[in-house]
Amino acid sequence: MQDTTSSGAPDRHGAVDLLGVSRRFGDTLAVDALELHVEPGEFLSLLGPSGCGKTTTLRLIAGFEQPDAGEVRISGRPVTGLPPYRRDVNTVFQAYALFPHLSVAENVAYGLQQKRVGRTEVRERVADALSMVQMREHADRKPTKLSGGQQQRVALARALVNRPSVLLLDEPLGALDRQLREEMQLELKLLQERLGTTFVFVTHDQGEALAMSDRVAVMRAGRIEQLDAPRAIYDAPASAYVAAFVGQQNFLDAHTAIRPEAIAIGADPMPGEKAAGTVLAIAHLGEVTQFLVGLADDRRLLVRRPSRDAPELGLGRAVHCAWDEADLLHFADGAGAAIPAPLLDTATAP
Amino acid sequence: MRARPGFLLALPAWLWLVVFFVVPVLQVVWFSFGRKPGIFGTHDNSVLTLDRYAEALDPTFGTVFLNTLWIGVAGTALCALIGIPTAYWMAVKAKPQWRGLLIALVMIPYWTNFLVRTIGWQVVLAPEGWLSTALGALGILDGPLEVLNTRGAVLFGVVYNYLPLMILPAFVAFDRVDPTLREASRDLGAGRWRTLFRVTLPLAAPGLFAAVILVFIPLMGDYITPSVLGGAAGSMVAQLVAVQFQAGQNWALGSAIAVILILAIVATAALGYALFRLVALPFAAARRVKLGAP
Repeated sequence: MQDTTSSGAPDRHGAVDLLGVSRRFGDTLAVDALELHVEPGEFLSLLGPSGCGKTTTLRLIAGFEQPDAGEVRISGRPVTGLPPYRRDVNTVFQAYALFPHLSVAENVAYGLQQKRVGRTEVRERVADALSMVQMREHADRKPTKLSGGQQQRVALARALVNRPSVLLLDEPLGALDRQLREEMQLELKLLQERLGTTFVFVTHDQGEALAMSDRVAVMRAGRIEQLDAPRAIYDAPASAYVAAFVGQQNFLDAHTAIRPEAIAIGADPMPGEKAAGTVLAIAHLGEVTQFLVGLADDRRLLVRRPSRDAPELGLGRAVHCAWDEADLLHFADGAGAAIPAPLLDTATAP
Repeated sequence: MRARPGFLLALPAWLWLVVFFVVPVLQVVWFSFGRKPGIFGTHDNSVLTLDRYAEALDPTFGTVFLNTLWIGVAGTALCALIGIPTAYWMAVKAKPQWRGLLIALVMIPYWTNFLVRTIGWQVVLAPEGWLSTALGALGILDGPLEVLNTRGAVLFGVVYNYLPLMILPAFVAFDRVDPTLREASRDLGAGRWRTLFRVTLPLAAPGLFAAVILVFIPLMGDYITPSVLGGAAGSMVAQLVAVQFQAGQNWALGSAIAVILILAIVATAALGYALFRLVALPFAAARRVKLGAP
C-alpha cells in the first residue's frame, strides 16, 4: 500500500491533489471543479457550513465517492476510480464507526490483519498505537463500554496504526463536549507534528480550524472561497463570506466590516470616536465581555473587550465607540443574505 | 421494588402464555404417559406408562419422522440460501427508494391464505397441469410432470411458503448494521467479501439466527403443505398427530408423537447452532487479539 515506488513522485509522498474535481448528486453540484493541493506533512482544514461540500471532498479523497469529472492524486499518483481499500489513506469517522463486535485491540488490528501482517507484529503495533493515544489499558474492552473521548482515541489509533500517508478526519471532535474537544485539538496537533503525517480535517467549527491547521480552506457551494494560513484568514478575509464565517463581524455597510474586538468602548467621549449609542445587552464570557450597543440609526454594534480591562457599563448606559481606520475590512463581494453571522444571537444572552 | 410496575405491564402477556401455552403443553406431556382406554375413550392416565413412546418410535412412524427432519432441514437451508442473500441485497445494495416496493413484493403473496396458495401449486404441479403441458411442449420433459405427491413437491411448497418469514427478519438484521461500519472496513483495507464476512454478517448474526429459527420451527410442524402436495410419499409428523387425535381418537399416542416432535425440533436447532459455532471457532480464534494488562 505504501507508495514511494517509481509510479509516483517520491517527493510528493503524503500529498493530496484534486485537479478540477466535480461531484454531482442529482441536481446539486456538491463539489464544483475543485482545485486543492495539500502539501506533504501539512495539517489542512476544510471549513464551511453544512452543505458546502467539505465532507464530499473528504469522501472523494477517501474513495467513498468517485468524481464525475477531474482527477484525484495521492502521493502524486492518480487514484481516481480506485476503491477505498486500494488507497493509502485512512479515515477517522464522525461517529467513530468502531466495530461493536470487536474489542478495542481487535478494532485497531483490523487494518493490519487485512494487509496480512504477522501476528507478533500486529500485537506490537496495536500495543504501540494504543499507548500513543493512552488507551493501552483498555485494549481488551468493547468500544461500547468506552466514553466518547476514549472512543475517539481508539478511532484515531485504528487509523494511524496503518501508517497511512494521509489521514482524513471527518468532524472527529464534533460529538465531544467543549472542554474535551479543546484538549483533543491540542493533542491532535501535537500528534500530527510528531508523526509528520498529512492531515485533512473537516470541520464547521472555525475556532477548531484556526487553532490546529497549517492552512485553512474556507468552502462555499462546492468551491474554495479562500485558502490561507489561519492568521491570514482571520486578519485578511478575502470576502465578506469568509469574514462572516470566520469569527464575528460588524458590517458597517455591505462592503465594510469591523471585528468586535477592534472596537473601543467607554462612557466618556473619546478621540477618534466613530459611533455613539446605548448598551442593550452585556454578556460575560469568562476571559472576554461582550457588549451589544444600539446606535441612533437603529443599527447594532457588537463590541468585545478582554474582561480584565472592560469598562463598568450598565444596561441602558449611553456609550461611545471608536476604532482605527486601519482595522476596517473592505470586501468587493458585499454582505449578502448568505452570511451566517447572527450578531444578535451571541450578544443578547447575558 | 422498582421492578413491580414493569411486571404488572407484562402480566397480561404472562397470563396469556401460561393459560394458552404452558398449560396445554403440560397437558399434552401428561396425556403422552397414558393410554387409550377403549374404543370410545380418547385418553386415560390411571396407569402411567412409556408404552406410547415405544409405539411412536415404531419404524412405520420412524420414516415419517425422518421425512419431516429431511424436509425441515433442507427446507430451512434452502430458505436461508435464497432468503439471506435476497435480504442482504434489499437492505444494502438496492436503492433506498425501491425498498418499500421490494418489501411489498415479498409480503403480497403472504397476504393470500396459506391453504389457497398451496392448493394453487397443486394445480400448477399436477401431471395434467399447465406447467407439465408447457414443459412437454418445449421438449424439456418427456411425458407428464411427476412431482406432485412426492417429498420434492413438499420441499418446494415449504420453501415457497416460508421464504417471506426468512427474508423479512433477515432484512431487518442487515438494515440495522450501520453503513458507516462497512465504509470503515473498506477504508481499513478490506474488500467487499471480507467486509461481508468480518463486519456485516457477524453484526447481523443474531437477527439471522432468529430468521432461521422462525422458519425451522413452524416448518417442522407444517400440516397443510404435506397434506396438499405430499401425498403418501411426502407426509410429515403433524399429519400423524392429527390422525391420532381426530380419526384415531388416540390422544395418548398423538401426544407422545407431538412431544417427540418438540424434542426433535429443539435438539436439531441446538445441534445446528453447535455445528455452526464449531465451524466458526477457528476463524474467530485466528483473528483474536488479546493484549492483556500492560
